[in-house]
Order: sequence, then structure tokens, then C-alpha cells
Amino acid sequence: MLAYIAKRILWMFPTFFAISLIIFLILNLAPGKPGGTLAGGGEGQEASGSNRESYRIFKSQFNLDKPVLFNTRYALSDREVEKCLRNFANESGKTPMKEVIKAQELLEDYGQYSIPALIRIVNKEDLSSKMMRVTLETLLQNAQRYPINAYAGRLDEKTKQLNDEIDLENNELRSYACSPDASKEVQAEAVSKWNAWYERTKGRFEYSPLQKISIFFCDTRFFKYWENLIKFDFGVSHIDKQPVMGKILSKLQYSLCLSVPSVILAYIISVPLGVFSAVKQNTLFDRACAVVLFMLYSLPSFFVATILLYFFSQGGDYVKIFPTGGFQDPNSEYMTVLQQIADVLWHLVLPLICMTYGSFASLSRYARTGMLDVIRSDYVRTARAKGLSEFTVVVKHAMRNGMIPIITLLGTLLPVIIGGSVIIEYIFGIPGMGQLSITSIYNRDYNMIMGIQLISAILVLIGILISDIMYAIVDPRISFK
Amino acid sequence: MEEKKEYKKISYWTVVWSQFSKNTIALWGLGAIILLLLQAIYVPLIALDVPFYYSIDGKTEYPFLMELFNQNRFENSIDIFFNTFMILSPLFLISFFVMRKMKIAVSKILISLCVVLFAVSFFMSMDSVNTKKMYVNYKEIVASAIKDGRQADALFPVIQYSYREMDSTAQNPQPPSSLHLLGTDAEGRDVFARMLYGTRISMTIGVVAVSIYMLIGIILGAVAGYFGGSADLWISRIIEVVICFPTFFLILTLAAFIEKRTVFHVMILIGIVSWTGVARLVRGEFLRQRGMDYVQAAIALGISRVKIIFSHILPNAMGPILVSATFGVASAILTESSLSFLGLGDTTAPSWGGILNIGRQQGKLWLILAPGFAIFFVVSVFNLVGEAIRDAMDPRLRQ
Repeated sequence: MLAYIAKRILWMFPTFFAISLIIFLILNLAPGKPGGTLAGGGEGQEASGSNRESYRIFKSQFNLDKPVLFNTRYALSDREVEKCLRNFANESGKTPMKEVIKAQELLEDYGQYSIPALIRIVNKEDLSSKMMRVTLETLLQNAQRYPINAYAGRLDEKTKQLNDEIDLENNELRSYACSPDASKEVQAEAVSKWNAWYERTKGRFEYSPLQKISIFFCDTRFFKYWENLIKFDFGVSHIDKQPVMGKILSKLQYSLCLSVPSVILAYIISVPLGVFSAVKQNTLFDRACAVVLFMLYSLPSFFVATILLYFFSQGGDYVKIFPTGGFQDPNSEYMTVLQQIADVLWHLVLPLICMTYGSFASLSRYARTGMLDVIRSDYVRTARAKGLSEFTVVVKHAMRNGMIPIITLLGTLLPVIIGGSVIIEYIFGIPGMGQLSITSIYNRDYNMIMGIQLISAILVLIGILISDIMYAIVDPRISFK
Repeated sequence: MEEKKEYKKISYWTVVWSQFSKNTIALWGLGAIILLLLQAIYVPLIALDVPFYYSIDGKTEYPFLMELFNQNRFENSIDIFFNTFMILSPLFLISFFVMRKMKIAVSKILISLCVVLFAVSFFMSMDSVNTKKMYVNYKEIVASAIKDGRQADALFPVIQYSYREMDSTAQNPQPPSSLHLLGTDAEGRDVFARMLYGTRISMTIGVVAVSIYMLIGIILGAVAGYFGGSADLWISRIIEVVICFPTFFLILTLAAFIEKRTVFHVMILIGIVSWTGVARLVRGEFLRQRGMDYVQAAIALGISRVKIIFSHILPNAMGPILVSATFGVASAILTESSLSFLGLGDTTAPSWGGILNIGRQQGKLWLILAPGFAIFFVVSVFNLVGEAIRDAMDPRLRQ
């Protein structure tokens, strides 16, 4: 048993890695940009100005300037860079705006890797003045290095020294800049300065095979993401720069307040219902039960929620008893603790109804079939023959075995319990996990989406494991050998 | 004298059907599904703002047929498809019976008719064929002719509104009236017409999404179950990985990322994330069947693997697949309407979830009840039929 569990847990790691890889690829290869409009790099926006620069910083902050899975930029050819430059320079004036922005972004993303190619291009004889200007600008932009750990509070002496050196060099490089309308001579002078600088720093851009391998695998978005993930760090939200984990934890309480009572309620209602209709099989009660539960099962929860809000909330026109939404009253600070609890409970009534009814429809069918399987077995007949009361037979003998499937279902409910329900939280405005998911989707907050998906994947993995283990514990006939 | 015994041929499916037909409610359910399909195909005959004919001063025009393929009137390619189907359906019926007389197998007839249908509807939705004609308001033409005192006559469908047409006199949501049977929505569009056209969306979503994931699931499951070994190992690992995806959340995310969402995107999304259940089911069935004698016999006869998998084992494994497909249609319809409800579906299509969402925002009862009950009805009908098929195939419940 222990060996089996250990094996299962070990298998979870490669599975989780594969899940993270697939979700990461889907998110990063999807069309559109992360951060949405908030990142300040939306399409159609003018490709210059402070907006541009802030988006550049945003990109490097979240490693979005790196390739997704594999990095081959150590061998960037002149042709690729020149193509980008030509598109960016838009010499013919015919390149569509979309292509220009794309080229500009690609050039930014190439960063330091593009320096050798840029130097070679800038020394070409037949460069038009526009190309020359663009190349020099790109060179200036890409040659500057970012200080190491700029956002850390305290740095050790060595890094500080290194950062000072970087600053000094960046300052020097900035002095190479020439104005957009500079003459050919000024440009030629700048080129010679660049050549001299490149002579000095050439070693930095030549990579050994080992370095190439490490760049190929490690200087990528996916690797950087996993570097943090190993430390259980899901990164920070693209929108408000808060840690993903902290945000999820802060939303968890609201979802738990809704889902835990809902699951408990569902079990309390569905188990007796299922058992009773199994004992009274094919009676009127059983059939009525089946019909009602079947209808409940097919009712879409968003429809029920909307109807309940329409008829029973203060926003509707009929019985104005329940609040329209939210988790608690806006004035709840002025209430006593008891009042606050009552207030929260009052807010939760409608969402609880919506969350519970669907699941107890399916749960009680499980309970019924589980019960029907055992109720005709020999040991139950023996118990009856012994003269035990019907209650003892059903509750003490039959139910123990009949409830095995429904208990093991608890494990698979784990993701629902913690993840909450997107639709119910959206309709009732409960600020839980579901609400967080949908807002992060609308805002294109990649790190947040990634974090939520991975956490729910982990929960599914754990849930399946728990239900398997519970199966073995509850039912000794099952062994994992 | 040798005695000749006449054995009545009873196939498995005959038994299942005889069990199924004992269930009256399920028969009603099946009837409802067929009615819904017919309604989806023939909506333009019931609700459209184009007359079958109209005559002004003795000059008669028949715009109906041409307008069926006007992309300015039907912007969804689903509608073009259904309209093609509607036009061709009498032809199909005739050719079906003719080919049946020629003793061609039913499956072959159906497949060839489907191919023809897809080809024609694809041809019809091509831009070169389908010139986007002006949106002509025939009602206004007829009305103004009558107003001018000219002799005018027109025959419109029963409901004179299409799902896109905005009634300028009813810009705010209007409650149900004799003019608009289920009222209008925020843009003055007739809700009843939208509901009727919404059946097309829901039905296609259900059928196509389920076919997509059935295809993926059956192929992967069959390969894993039939070949076993390392193929089984790898496919099982893939299934394990995909099972852990938070399906609904993933669909939501992907749908939000697609800039110009159409109904087809939603179908494909539902299709590619929810195939795991079918794959496991098929794998289990194949593992069970491949050890049986008839498979051994087929192998011994030297029949190709593909043929064994698809024409020997698959028909025997079809029962559970059919049940799960029926439930799958219900859940795909639910998923699509939830997506539209959250505003992440196809916003141009008259989806029931979308109508419900507008109703929730506007707080108008007729905009909530109509689509809500429609979704409820369709989902429960499919669940009902699925359950009845399952019961009919269960030998323990056989009477």
C-alpha cells in the first residue's frame, strides 16, 4: 500500500511537469499580448514614447522578451536582424503598421544577442540613411545592459561594483547617440566609436558550446518560470504586481465559505434521499424522487441563479428579502460579530442553493445505485433473518458498504471545494477564486491564469490520489498489488 | 425431409430498440429531439423578414430563395449550412429512396449525402458565390407601396422577423405582445425569432463538439486498447495529463484569447479538451474485446488491423460510446450556453446563453425565462434519451 502511494506520488511530478508545459505553451503561443491594455503596449498605439519604454521594462520584468521554450538567439544571423531592421525602418513606406510594430518588438526582444549582427550591418557600405539611423538607434537600445537585481533591497559588494560598471558603460554608450537628422559624417563617427567599443567587449558576445547549451535551454520563459516554481513561487500578477500565491490565498476564504457548506449540505440531503429511495425501490416516492432529481440535474445553474435573484433579491421586483450580491454588507464594519456572521450567512443563502442543488441530484443517484448493489446481497438478508430491525439492517449493515462509492467521490470534489464556481461567484458577485479567475482572464493576467490552472491541476491530482486511497481504506477487498 | 427452420434475424440493436421503445417517456424525448432538429433546419420557413413572394402593381417577385444565401442577412456560416440543407432536403429524401431501391447500404447513402451537403454548403458560403447583397427591408417596401395606394400583396412567414433585424419602434426591451411573441431585447430584436435560430446554434454545438471529441477519443482509445504495450502506456499518460486540466476554466481562457470568436471556435475548444472520458471508455472496451475469439479469428484470417479495429471491434464497443455521446451533447450545450452567458461565446450568434445574459443585465423576465427553459428542455431531453439508451442496453434490466 505504502509503496503504491509512493509510486503514485512520484508519478505526479512528471505529470505535473507535462501539465505545466502544455498550459504554458497554450498561454504563451496564444494570440494577443499579456497584460492586455493595462500593459500599455496595445496595438495601434504609437510606437514611441514613454509608453513604449514602460512596456519594454514590463516585458523584461516578466521575461516576456525571451523565447518561449528554446532559445536559438546565440546564433542570430545577419539576415534575420536585417529583415527586422528593414521592416522597422519602413524604407518604402509600404510596410503595414502591424509589421513595423512586430519588427520593433522582435528587435527589442533580441537584446544583447543582436549586437554582433548589428555591428556587422552598421559597417555595411550600401546602407541608406534611414536604415543607418534605425540601426544605430537599435544598437544603442540593445547594447545597454540592465543592472543586476535592480529591484532587490540590498546587494553585496561585488554586484554593486558590477552595477556601477554597467552604469558607467551605459552612460558612455548613450554619448554615442546621434540625433535623427544627423549628417553622414556624424553617423560615420558614431559607427567608428561603436566599432571601437565592440573591439573591447567582443568576448562578451562569443559563446562557448557549454554556454550555448545553457542559453538554448535556460534563457527561456519556461525555464525562468520553473526556476520560481521550484520555490513554490508562482510569480507576481501582471496587473497589480501582487504575488499570485498571496492573492489566491486571500480569495480562498470566500470560496471556502461557499463550497464547504454546499458540499456538506449536498451530502446531508442526498445520502438519506438516495438510501430511502433505494429501500423503497419502485414505489411512488422513488419515482417522484428520480423525476425531480433528474430535472434538477438538467437545470443550468446560471438560469436558477438569475431567477432567484429576480424573484427574491432586493434588486428584483417581487420578494425583496435577500441581497443582490456580494459577500457581506458594505456597512458590516459597524456591526457586532454576531450580526456580521448573520449578515454573511444571509448573503450566502441564494448562492448556496444554486451551488448545492445540482450536486445533490447526482450524489443521491450515486447513493441510490450504491445502496441497490448491496441491499440484495446475502449478508443483508442474513441480518434481516437474525431478526434485526429494518433500521439497523439498513443503517448499520447495508449503508456501510453501500456508501463506499459516494465517500470516495469526496476526493474528486476537492478542486471544486477550493476552486469555487466561476459562474455562481460571477453572478452573485462573491469575491472568491471563481471571480479571481474570470477577472484574470479578462485582464489577460498570464501569471495569475497560469497559477490558478496549475493549482487546480495539483488539486485534481491530489483529489484522485485521495479518492483512490480512501477506496482502499474503506473497502479492504481492494488491494493495489 | 429436411426440416427448414426459419430463424428470425435479431440483431443486438433490434433488442436495444425494442427495450428502448417500451420506455414511453424516452420515446417522447426522442421525438422532441427529432422535432428540434427539424425546427433547426426549417426555421426560415417559420421566422424570417423576407416574403415568399410579393407583388406590387401586378409585378411579382420571389426573393425568398436568394435571400437564404445572403450573408448580410445570415452572417453565420451555420445558417448558410442549414439553409442549404433545407433547400436540398427534398432532393435528399428522393435520392435516399432511389438509392435504397438500388440496394445500397444505408451508411453509404448517408455518408455520400453528407459529403454532398457539406460540399454544396461550403460552395454557397464562398465569397465569390455569395455576394453580400444589400439588406433589403421588404416589409417597408410593401408597407410604403400600400401607403401610396398601389396594389400590393405579400406572403411573409408566420413570424415576420429575423434574428438580426432591429425593430426601430422597439428599441427598449418590449414585453411580449401579439407583435413580438416573446418581446424584444435591448436592441429591439425579436426574442422569439432569436430563440428559434438559437436552436441551430445549440444543436450544431452539441453535435459537432461531441463528434470532434468522439473522433479523438475513439482513435486514441482504440489504439491504446488494441495495441497495448508502449502505445497504451503513452496514451494513458497523455490521458492522465489532460484529465488534470481544469476543463471549463481552460475553455474560458482560450475563448477569451481568441479575438474574433465564432461558434466554430467554441465547438473546437469544447472538442479538444473533453475527449478523455471517451478515450478511457473506448480503451477499456477494446481491452475487453481484443481477447475474444472473433478478434482472434479475424487476425487469423489476415484482415488488416485498421479493418479489425474499425469494422470488427468498434461496432461491438459502440453501445457505451453512444450513451456517452448523448450525455456529451447535453453537457456541450450547457458549456456553450455558460460561455455565452459569461460573454465569452460568439457575440453575433443568437445563442440562448447570450439572450439570458442580456436578460440578467436588463432584469427582464421574458429575456430570462425563454432561453432558460429552452436550455433546460434541450439538456434534459438529451439526458433523458441517454439514460433510456443506457437502460435499454443493460442486460440486467431487460424485460
